[in-house]
Amino acid sequence: MEPQSPAAGLQGSAAPVPAPLAERTGPTWRFLITPRWLGWHLLMVVSFWGMLWLGDWQFHRAMSGNALSWAYTFEWPLFAGFVVVFWARTIRDEFRLRRDGVVDQPEDEPELPSAIGMAAGDRAAALIAQAEEDDPELSAYNAYLTRLNTEVKGHGKWHGLR
Amino acid sequence: MRTAVQRYRIMAYITGVLIIIVVFAGIPLQIWGHNTVIVNGVGTVHGFLYLVYIVFAYLLARKLGMRPQPTVLLLLAGTVPIMTFAVERWMTRRYIDPALSESPRVADTVSS
Repeated sequence: MEPQSPAAGLQGSAAPVPAPLAERTGPTWRFLITPRWLGWHLLMVVSFWGMLWLGDWQFHRAMSGNALSWAYTFEWPLFAGFVVVFWARTIRDEFRLRRDGVVDQPEDEPELPSAIGMAAGDRAAALIAQAEEDDPELSAYNAYLTRLNTEVKGHGKWHGLR
Repeated sequence: MRTAVQRYRIMAYITGVLIIIVVFAGIPLQIWGHNTVIVNGVGTVHGFLYLVYIVFAYLLARKLGMRPQPTVLLLLAGTVPIMTFAVERWMTRRYIDPALSESPRVADTVSS
């Protein structure tokens, strides 16, 4: 069974996703304290210290005669540095995206030729359908929902017969 | 954009091949043959090329405007055998091809 909530799976696998409505209100930095971003901060801190610890461990191995460990002694702190740099850059870009309103402007979304000329609602539905079709994870999830739905329906029917 | 894709692809294939050698040849040889030549040699090379992979993959992810979660998946793909290739295909289908077929304006929304 998928441990993730369906919403998390959806957001995670989709291409540039418009921010949820709730996030569009209030100051820009607010997104940093959403549960999702708190999770990212935690992951950053844990992996930063974890990687430094691994570097320290390799350093002790190197000191006790494992010559190869010297390579990893320098590699792990580099990884730890990457973690911080990537984290900072991602936040910076996220601020930029939100401030410029790129995320909020629907006309910046890629439009499919087949969806042109439809009413706005139909076009949105077509775009969503297309996106769902393109995403194997999502279509698998949809298939799973359909299966659950039919199973539940069948269940109800048997109850009705009894 | 195309350069970023090329750099990412080259590093993905190199790290992908190296990690397969380490895991499917090096580790069995180390466990059953007590021979650490492959693990030490190829393993260390993979370690450092993975650094390069991470940089290129991250730069590409920013250019494509990928969300944090797929980005992390992309970066970790260099450490899991076969996943590297699977993720490269997924990247191409889901992000690279759409971005290349669009106007460059969209691809450049996040400048490096």
